[in-house]
Amino acid sequence: MSLYEGSVKKPIMTSLCFLAVVIMGLFSLSKLPIDLYPDFDTNTIMVITYYPGASATDIENNVSRPLENSLNSVSNLKHITSKSSENVSLITLEFEYGNDIAEITNDVRDKLDMTNSMLPDDAETPIIFKFSTDMIPIVMLSVQANESQSALYKILDENLVNSLARIPGVGTVSISGAPKREIQVYCDPNKLEAFDLSVETISAIIGAENRNIPGGSFDIGNETYSMRVEGEFDDSRQLQNVVVGSKNGSNIYLRDVATVVDTVEERVQQTYNNGVKGAMVIIQKQSGANSVEISKAVMKVLPELQAKLPSDVKLGVIVDTSDNIINTIDSLKETVLFALLFVILVVFVFLGRWRATLIICITIPLSLIASFIYLAITGNSLNVISLSALSISIGMVVDDAIVVLENITTHIERGAEPKQAAIHGTNEVALSVIASTMTMFAVFFPLTMISGMTGVLFKQLGWMMCVIMFISLIASLSLTPMLCAKLLKLQKKQTKAFKIIYAPVEKALDALDDGYEKLLNWGVRHRWTVIAGCVVFFVVSLLSLSTIGTEFFPSQDNGRIAVKLELPVGTRTEHAQDLATKLTQEWMSKYKDEIKVCNYTVGQAGSDNTWASLSDNGSHIISFNISLFDVADRERSLATVCDLMREDLKAYPEFVKKQVILGGANTGMSGQTTADFEVYGYDMNATDSISLQMKRELLKVKGVSEVNISRGDYQPEYHVEFDREKLALHGLNLSTAGTYLRNRINGATASKYREDGDEYDIKVRYAPEFRTSLESFENILIYNNKGQGVRIKELGTVVESFGPPTIERKDRQRVVTVSAVISGAALGDVVADGQKIIKTLHIPEGVTVAVSGSFEDQQESFADLATLGLLILIMVFIVMAAQFESLSYPFIIMFSIPFAFSGVILALFVTNTTLIVMSLLGGIMLIGIVVKNGIVLIDYTNLCRERGMSAIQSAIAAGRSRLRPVVMTTLTTLLGMIPMAISQGQGAEMWRPMAISVIGGLLVSTVLTLILVPSIYCIFASVGIKRERKSMVHKREIAAYYEAHKSEMVSRKKSKTEN
Amino acid sequence: MKSVLITFDQAYYDRIISLLDHLNCRGFSYIEQVKGRGSKKGEPHYGSHAWPAMCSAIMSVVEDEKVDPLLEELHKLDIATEKLGLRAFVWNIEKSI
Repeated sequence: MSLYEGSVKKPIMTSLCFLAVVIMGLFSLSKLPIDLYPDFDTNTIMVITYYPGASATDIENNVSRPLENSLNSVSNLKHITSKSSENVSLITLEFEYGNDIAEITNDVRDKLDMTNSMLPDDAETPIIFKFSTDMIPIVMLSVQANESQSALYKILDENLVNSLARIPGVGTVSISGAPKREIQVYCDPNKLEAFDLSVETISAIIGAENRNIPGGSFDIGNETYSMRVEGEFDDSRQLQNVVVGSKNGSNIYLRDVATVVDTVEERVQQTYNNGVKGAMVIIQKQSGANSVEISKAVMKVLPELQAKLPSDVKLGVIVDTSDNIINTIDSLKETVLFALLFVILVVFVFLGRWRATLIICITIPLSLIASFIYLAITGNSLNVISLSALSISIGMVVDDAIVVLENITTHIERGAEPKQAAIHGTNEVALSVIASTMTMFAVFFPLTMISGMTGVLFKQLGWMMCVIMFISLIASLSLTPMLCAKLLKLQKKQTKAFKIIYAPVEKALDALDDGYEKLLNWGVRHRWTVIAGCVVFFVVSLLSLSTIGTEFFPSQDNGRIAVKLELPVGTRTEHAQDLATKLTQEWMSKYKDEIKVCNYTVGQAGSDNTWASLSDNGSHIISFNISLFDVADRERSLATVCDLMREDLKAYPEFVKKQVILGGANTGMSGQTTADFEVYGYDMNATDSISLQMKRELLKVKGVSEVNISRGDYQPEYHVEFDREKLALHGLNLSTAGTYLRNRINGATASKYREDGDEYDIKVRYAPEFRTSLESFENILIYNNKGQGVRIKELGTVVESFGPPTIERKDRQRVVTVSAVISGAALGDVVADGQKIIKTLHIPEGVTVAVSGSFEDQQESFADLATLGLLILIMVFIVMAAQFESLSYPFIIMFSIPFAFSGVILALFVTNTTLIVMSLLGGIMLIGIVVKNGIVLIDYTNLCRERGMSAIQSAIAAGRSRLRPVVMTTLTTLLGMIPMAISQGQGAEMWRPMAISVIGGLLVSTVLTLILVPSIYCIFASVGIKRERKSMVHKREIAAYYEAHKSEMVSRKKSKTEN
Repeated sequence: MKSVLITFDQAYYDRIISLLDHLNCRGFSYIEQVKGRGSKKGEPHYGSHAWPAMCSAIMSVVEDEKVDPLLEELHKLDIATEKLGLRAFVWNIEKSI
């Protein structure tokens, strides 16, 4: 018993089986996590090696190079880049996507073990660090406080951070902008000198005084007691009364030479939210955890935590990355539902029966819901790709069901009972339904085999489509016939209302049939005119190709901007903060309709701030985190605001580096596209000058709004150059002298002050007013072993110099990256302009310039997709050839494919959309859809010929009879795409180009296929007929010749045998 | 005893069986896949690409008096759904065991 016969005969089993699938699917859907993209496996490993005291060049030569040389042999390595700066070497290994990162990490570890002995003795063991998008913070909270400001760190640490860190999936929680308590002992150097004291003595005395010492146990009578000395301060004010020495018989108290301030640490990052001072709490997720879930959990506990905090401490949200994800997925869900609605409407209009429409309504969602089971089993999420797959497939899954339904209806109309009609009707079309699904497999299965970054995206799409197609095939061969047997019946009477509504539709469809028949009749009789017209159309469409720009991934409007501003190195935090306040005021008033939260951080971060230590910080750096309102609630787009901000920043020449980062982060696909040019070369001066020239030229290019050079400036710094002979003369050495200097400027940690179980540093150093001039440093007194004080200016000189910047290398060569941020122009165009600029530059020997970054990725992906396109064409050809058992029919059908591409090009041209990976993907999918239309036409034409019609007659008859199914399947796919093409919701930038290209390509190719394919068919048929006639004539001639010369040949044979 | 050969479009199967039951014609032989075409209008039933439909055939040997009602019923069926195609032929049974 065949599948369809079985299911028609066992309706309960069939319907319950599918019900089970639906229940499982819905269950899976409720469990599916939401994310923006499919899970990217980390493809980057960082190796960090500390070598304290070494300069950038030392690090490069002694650490980075040997490590690079050995790590270069790790398999699947794509690029190796390194950053050598003072004290630290950071090597980044970038691997091809789709490899097991755990295995690669082991390889890297093995290589590191081998090189360990080659590293300098003082260098620490290299640390392996897996980097991924997980490092990007998922939630940033703002904290505003008034009275509690000075104790904010403690309040937040105890009440907020610990509770947040306990949420499953949360990685690290860092506080920035809340300084820690510290007890400062500010010494007056003049007084110290007068009493012969030094910072070191004071620090040692404080250390010695602030102690508890157990004295041991002793017995009195029958009892044992323990003796203790409790000297630890229990109030910071007690410090003032510590005796630090004596002069002329009287005690010198600490208060005589210094002021004790119980305050907060001096150098600290300050955070301002909307101009109000406060703090920022940064939450990062653990690797592999789901951002939306974590952020939901965080948002859920926030009110509880807020209640525990003092009343003046207010929590707010600066950035919640899950907002964007949820909004994007929601807007995509909406388009899927609209697509479903449109498709059902089309089916109703064309079939004109509510029962048939009901059957389609049941079968479409079924295949879609079943695909959720696949997602849940493979551990995937509901993301842009999987939902796009649903949207694309809606229009396609109906096709199979419609073919079956139509044939069953024909049988019923002929007089068969629904049950018999369902079995025999399905039997007749089963093979062609399977074949057409096979063509779709031929298109989508190769998608699962792409590698690289595009592979990660399209793999899921490919699998989703295959799963959906498979389920739809099974459903159309079992559930659809079963439902037809139960629901369909011969329509004997039409209701009045139906007649009124449907009569005009019927009329219009009939008119369409007639019109098309006339057109086709003309077409097949003017075959060469048709072909010439199509060729001209194709060439014309290719002409517009040159005006279409290319891009890798469109930047997404997620409402986030990060601004990084650098003042000259060494600028005081106060100055940076003044500028930041000014900017905040300016921006908050200028963009008050757009900016929701404007947060900025200035200053040097402490070492215990994980988030800050990973990003650049320093007293001269200002980092803004700006959050805009939702796309729908503002008029200006993210890109416009960014461009305006860049304009605003031009009014501030004091910033040496300005970076406005669209999307909040440069990693991931949401960021703004940059055209990256890499300048390779060992000579730093040469590469510096080339990159500066490039920056100047690139800024002139249209669409470039910002150019960044990766190599930092030479940092100005002061060196104290001690004269070693003089040092020796005074019985001193370099490190003693250096420590003296450090203790006075940076401070000496004398001891810890304990209170309520917490420890705070007691720092002894010069009072701030004595740390502001070079003169005061030159006057620092250094005491030798004999107790004699010598001033620094007598031991050496303080000179200004420049420290080298970070040395960057890529693939074992020094490199400077010049990246042009693009806004309002296509990546391909800017890169082309950049290449022109490179040609005009005079590039010295040993320096090379290459294009990299997204353009490299884009080229790779486009090349991948082109190969894929070819592979798909071959596969589709094979499937069709097998179906028709002919090589010429598939060839005829394939003529419609070029027009799909001209349709794509025209659609992009008309809508002024750039060609991105997604639009190419749309083009590739078109191959399958377009070919399907051709198959339907050719198949029926063949049928007519087999039934004895002439080629031209068959072409016309088939055209007329297949017009409706072709138009219907095209319309379902087309209308399924329209909600995507016009959607304005968040994330629409991503799928709009794909929908536009599918719509354009499908429209053009369907219209042309309907005329061109029958015409070409007729040409092939006439050639075939002529050939047949010729061979018949030839055979007849041979036969006549044989008849005429029979006697000769036969007699010759006879005579031969006789001989 | 007469033999009635009924050739029909596959879709008739259920209806013909119930007709035979109804008329108390118990015995029959059923050939599921039969190809053929009508002499006048009947569409070919070849199970091929061009003509995908198929016929079946039932041979039932019945008493002489049952032949006419059977043919009458079959004819009614054929007239009701002309497009499907149904024919019946009757001939004598000489001997049987």
